[in-house]
Amino acid sequence: MQSSSGKGQFDATVASNRQVGERFYKLRLVFSGHGAAAFAKFEPGQFAQIDVSSAALPPNDRIPTELMNTARRDILLRRPFSFADVTRDGDKTSAELLYRVVGPATLRMTTLSNGNLVNIIGPLGKGFSISQGKKTALLVIGGMGAPPILHLARVLTAEHHNIEVEAFAGAKTAKELPFEGRLDEISRQLGFSIPEFAECGIKSQVATDDGSAGHEGVVTELLERWLDIKPGLSPDEAIIYACGPEAMLAKVAEIARERDIDCQVSMERLMACGIGVCQSCAVECQVEGSNETVYKLCCEDGPVFDSGQVVFQL
Amino acid sequence: MTESVDISVDFAGLKLANPVFTASGTCGYADELADFIDINQLGGFITKSITVKPRKGHATPRIVETDSGMLNAIGLANVGVDKFIEEKLPVLQKLKPAIFVNVAGDTIEEYVAVIERLAREKAIAGFELNISCPNVKRGSISFGRDPEQVSEITSTAKSAASEKILMVKLSPNVTDIAEIAAAAVEAGADALSLINTFTAMAIDIESRKPFLANRTGGLSGPAIKPIAVYLVSRVYKEITRDKGIPILGMGGIRNISDAIEFIIAGASAVAIGTANFIEPACTLHIIDGIKEYCDRHNIADIRELVGSLS
Repeated sequence: MQSSSGKGQFDATVASNRQVGERFYKLRLVFSGHGAAAFAKFEPGQFAQIDVSSAALPPNDRIPTELMNTARRDILLRRPFSFADVTRDGDKTSAELLYRVVGPATLRMTTLSNGNLVNIIGPLGKGFSISQGKKTALLVIGGMGAPPILHLARVLTAEHHNIEVEAFAGAKTAKELPFEGRLDEISRQLGFSIPEFAECGIKSQVATDDGSAGHEGVVTELLERWLDIKPGLSPDEAIIYACGPEAMLAKVAEIARERDIDCQVSMERLMACGIGVCQSCAVECQVEGSNETVYKLCCEDGPVFDSGQVVFQL
Repeated sequence: MTESVDISVDFAGLKLANPVFTASGTCGYADELADFIDINQLGGFITKSITVKPRKGHATPRIVETDSGMLNAIGLANVGVDKFIEEKLPVLQKLKPAIFVNVAGDTIEEYVAVIERLAREKAIAGFELNISCPNVKRGSISFGRDPEQVSEITSTAKSAASEKILMVKLSPNVTDIAEIAAAAVEAGADALSLINTFTAMAIDIESRKPFLANRTGGLSGPAIKPIAVYLVSRVYKEITRDKGIPILGMGGIRNISDAIEFIIAGASAVAIGTANFIEPACTLHIIDGIKEYCDRHNIADIRELVGSLS
């Protein structure tokens, strides 16, 4: 069933489910019929609630040791995911779901194979908005914050030729950067550039806590350094888009505030329903022109918020 | 084929098209679910808890998934009765299902204030008195644990509710639920709903802290269903059957057979809660399934099934 709001519940067909790193997989889902129409409108930063409860566990020898303890836990709730890419092809819509195996649900996702049906509710929430008059977009990624930012990069490249885009991605180690290819090698040879961004003609820089790829340190240092040396950047013509751990988002928000640059952050909260009924995914937000705060819902009011209104949980 | 089966029910004097409700706090104020189901096909609808003043609710995390269940500690986040009347009631007014407003508060006066504000609203069939929320420090469950307080709040709320139906929602977090049920019925409850969630905790072993910001939460979902079925069966047998008071049975229902178990145990109607989060249309599948079950068992009137446990 699909409503006038555009969101609905659909089955998508698995077209591929490929391992792209030690713990990273790319799942390609194909929607047809009403699902294709609904998900063709899926914007970068929006999300979908995916039912993976009926997917099988992998055999024991394919379960990472540290996940063995919780692997058999039942999956009750759907899991929220943003997509890394969405493309319309004739009467089908194809979505790329980039995921990292972190627990019993994502472990089950690894066994999905071509032709399997996956039940999905979406598109949900508010995504990134691309406002008129911006000439520079700065994309900031922390670890698994990559998917919605990759999607945004693809949309900016395809539809907003007049916006110059720069990307910054950070993780603890090179292995935890959710991109294809050996980023440690690439960074040694070229000094920068993640293949997924290079494909879009977007320059990118990498930071890792241990220095195993790119800059040794945190990604926000790259952002600040770039802003420091960028001559003639007009703050009101720039915008920062960020997705990653809350501490990183808080730092990005601070940098944006200090330099008077618009900034949108994609927040994450544990959520049960994703459709505004369970009230689990509260994000504390400042009421404009007052010291008071209210709880907004990550699923409906977000997940993308203007960074200035969010009271980050640190 | 199943059209001939009558699954309409008389619930405390209300004629309902079928015995399926959405449970409080799992279906918002109705407009949220409208994207996924035709709400008019439900028998009844219960709003999330309404208090006199708006409540922000607890800090996050407010939920955590556990084996076959989840804990929640939302903290009765709601818009408050004024905004409810102004913004939410107009939507509810247009709906066919019997609308119950779940009422919560810190004091008896606060419960009464909400009920009095709503008692003359035509859109509302009745109230569900929340004396069983495990997640707030004052009020609510503290009323629901003591038979004398249950009696006092029920009779006071009943007078305030005027012509409307008063349903009292019972907590399983008591030594003897039958004693609490008896107190509510004797004080004038028109119906009972049971059960609310179990007070529970999940611990992050790395940080040695509770997962939830509120430390404890209410356990719901399939994990609690067998206990809920037992408690409904007990309250039906010991308290409500002889008094002719209907039970709205709930606790972990996610499919057709779950719902039918509750009806056999003594529930005149059932409410679906946590399952709405996963399968927003599950209530409608359950309605169809109840018809199909009755048809298969030659049950012409669903009332034959209520409390038919042998």
